[in-house]
Amino acid sequence: MNLQEFKEKLFQLGGQHGFTDMELYYEREEKFACELFKGVIDSYDTSEVFGTSFRGLYEGRMGYAFTEKLDEESLSFLIENAKENSQFIEDEVQEEIFAGSDKYESGSYYSSSLAEVTIHEKINLLKEIEKHIYAYDERVTGTDYFMLRSGETERVLLNSKGLNLSEKNNHAGIYVSVIVKQGDQVKNGEYSKFTRDFSILNPEEIAKHAVEEALSQLNARSAESKNYPVLLRNDAASALLQTYNSIFSAENTQKGQSALKGKTGEVIAAASLNIADDPFLEEGLLSSNFDSEGVATARKDIVKDGRLVTLMHNRKTAQKDGVESTGNAYKASYKGALTVAPTNLYVNPSNQSYDELVSSLSEGIIITELSGLHSGANTVSGDFSIAANGFYVKDGNVQNAVNQMTIAGNFYELLKNIEAIGSDLEFSMGFMATGYIGSPSLLIRELAVTVE
Amino acid sequence: MFSQSVIHDVITAALATGGDFAEVFVEDRFTNSLALQSGKIESSLSGRDYGIGIRVFKGLQSVYAYTTDGSKEGLLKAAGNAAQAIRGEKIIQPAQLQKEIIPAGHPISLNPREVEKLRKVDVMKKAYEIAKNYHSSIQQVTVRYLDEEQNVLIANSEGKFVEDRRVRSRLAIQSIAAEGNQMQPGFYGPGAHKGFEFMENLNLEHYANEASRIAVTMLGADPCPSGKFPVIIDNEFGGVIFHEACGHGLEATSVAKENSVFANRIGEKVASDVVTYIDDGTLANEWGSITIDDEGEKARKNVLIENGILKGYLIDKFGGRRMGMASTGSGRRQSYRFAPTSRMTNTYIANGKSTPEEIVSNTEYGIYTKYMGGGQVNTTTGDYNFAVMEAYLVKDGKIGKPLKGATLIGNGPKTLQLVDMVGNNLDHGAGMCGSQSGSIPVNVGQPMIRVSEMTVGGTKGGE
Repeated sequence: MNLQEFKEKLFQLGGQHGFTDMELYYEREEKFACELFKGVIDSYDTSEVFGTSFRGLYEGRMGYAFTEKLDEESLSFLIENAKENSQFIEDEVQEEIFAGSDKYESGSYYSSSLAEVTIHEKINLLKEIEKHIYAYDERVTGTDYFMLRSGETERVLLNSKGLNLSEKNNHAGIYVSVIVKQGDQVKNGEYSKFTRDFSILNPEEIAKHAVEEALSQLNARSAESKNYPVLLRNDAASALLQTYNSIFSAENTQKGQSALKGKTGEVIAAASLNIADDPFLEEGLLSSNFDSEGVATARKDIVKDGRLVTLMHNRKTAQKDGVESTGNAYKASYKGALTVAPTNLYVNPSNQSYDELVSSLSEGIIITELSGLHSGANTVSGDFSIAANGFYVKDGNVQNAVNQMTIAGNFYELLKNIEAIGSDLEFSMGFMATGYIGSPSLLIRELAVTVE
Repeated sequence: MFSQSVIHDVITAALATGGDFAEVFVEDRFTNSLALQSGKIESSLSGRDYGIGIRVFKGLQSVYAYTTDGSKEGLLKAAGNAAQAIRGEKIIQPAQLQKEIIPAGHPISLNPREVEKLRKVDVMKKAYEIAKNYHSSIQQVTVRYLDEEQNVLIANSEGKFVEDRRVRSRLAIQSIAAEGNQMQPGFYGPGAHKGFEFMENLNLEHYANEASRIAVTMLGADPCPSGKFPVIIDNEFGGVIFHEACGHGLEATSVAKENSVFANRIGEKVASDVVTYIDDGTLANEWGSITIDDEGEKARKNVLIENGILKGYLIDKFGGRRMGMASTGSGRRQSYRFAPTSRMTNTYIANGKSTPEEIVSNTEYGIYTKYMGGGQVNTTTGDYNFAVMEAYLVKDGKIGKPLKGATLIGNGPKTLQLVDMVGNNLDHGAGMCGSQSGSIPVNVGQPMIRVSEMTVGGTKGGE
């Protein structure tokens, strides 16, 4: 059964069962991933999948169900389950099916030149990068992962109020982790780059980044455990913001899971901090013209000169707070319930280079990598104690890599303790991330550092 | 799901360009997930995942293609896409498929698909009431309910044709205690390879009260000091430390390419004498248990470390090729969207001889961790970290004041050598484990253990 036919049958069956308003959300994905290990294609994945979810209003309550099979059995499965599911929903504000915004931007986030890049060209790029990786330094012994992923996604939103929206986007990315060995020391260095412009993936630069990252971890030493000024390098800063971006979600303030409740208009950060959510960034991987409930997306300042300008909303959270949706409705996939998430969210860069920030430290720690963010960061209280790697700095110069550390503090306080912001804005995207998050390097007045 | 003749044709197509092994994995999965917040059901989702994954090997090359198109044409197209990655002449014919009937290793008495959702909601509301009423400082309770029925068919060019049904249920309770600006969470998430009978027999009083007790206790806790201390890690979910520090490093995923710190060390002493580490997918109806793995191999009990000596690894078919070793029934994946790789099932430290009381009373000064959060490991360096949910100071052989905000960091191989006491109260806890082949249910387990020295990162600074 094709989508149109499935939708018509579904809405008809839904109507017969007493659903008043209905929505069908459809997602189709084509993906390619390839891993290279010492010249040999070690894994090669290709896929074409789709899924649909049904959302419908039954006796004033919203019921959900999803399926990956467009057949007769799925029609009744969706309707019966959505109906049963709707009966338990007790929220005081109910979701509604949205008739549509007045106007939508028409940006295109699909690159046809990227779509034309052949698998052969992709594999050649990996081979080129690998050649440079092994040639760069004789201490390179291997890679623990080295892959290219590319994909395109098509989203379609159809509802019984006549809304019919669709959008396509695509991207490609390289992920690499290089292993280096010196004596009995083994270290690895990671690097990843995502883009919609395949031509910017420069093999030499990618190899250099990854190998340098690994080599820089060699000869690590211990350091005194105490409070230090900490320079969060751009990639570590964006990983931390990735973890904590949920504090800007109105859904979380309403659930008591963010301390920013009622703080709109108040100073919550250093005056130099500006954070924006921009769904129209040309290179933004999550750029989009409509959100997951069909609301037109919009660029917005979240934090301006240290003040909280707005939280991120979907229609339901907006109604609860008596404001308008900010176009941040989000579904983790077509399967999920509607929630709230950023699109491309980033800290505005300032004018100091990374090197200038390093030289400004009389004594401090640079953090280049954070791990265990999913468990060591409490997004409710803001407290974190996270494993980290990085360098010791004395008199403005990097002295040495530091053994595995933990940095501990509180994210809400960290926002207020930002002393300087770099010019080196970089975006990152975790494997299971919500939001495409960017940050320049951030100098933090003080964090508790414990060194192994 | 599919007839043997359709599968035979698909495997034949997958082998057309010179593959030396082909496999078909068909999945039809029904899930229900409900969330309750502040006493009200906030979401109730039902769904059906359906797809097919086709894998082809040629030597040390592995190709995977997956699709949601379940028509014969769709399957043949995916098989063709996979075959396209291999360039050569056909070298083998698939063996004749032999349907294997494997008795269910983990019997289910009440299929959740046949249970009214209202009964599921009742369980959640009961858990909510207990957790909420535990203490006046409990500001909020979230209860999540999950059940799933995963039907799979696995067939390959060696003649395997086997079907399996996996039914799992889990309840996760999170309590948040608040006072002034302070907020602390407590969590408990029991799960099993069982149907709704699991929920009916679950000791809700225990789990819901514990989630709230942890949150309330941590609200009044002091910041954890930083530094190097002896650390006592309690039983059950405490086993997450070995899952990170050791388990991941024993998976073929990192051992096969010799990237793991444990590669090429079978027969060597890798841990202190008191450490015996086992992965056992056959434990009856446990959360991480399986009847067959996602490559169709029967689950088994794998002894990984025995009295400190490395005995074996966790191996999937592809990893085994590079290692020249057979599968250990460890090939697992989140869904048809992932090629399987070597993963854990129920992994645990075996009982030792000390009683928990002996371990505590023999510790002059250190940290006692009652419940652990999650963690992560770098299998190349062996460096791991994990969060502690509930910790206490140990002084003069007694458990003292509670401590919050502790993170433990260390190096797996070093920590294994520093385990100096192992208790006799083995228990298992449910968790989700994320790796290359996605997020899968696993148990971690151990009796109480003591590590003579670990680095504790706390918010209080050095002591």
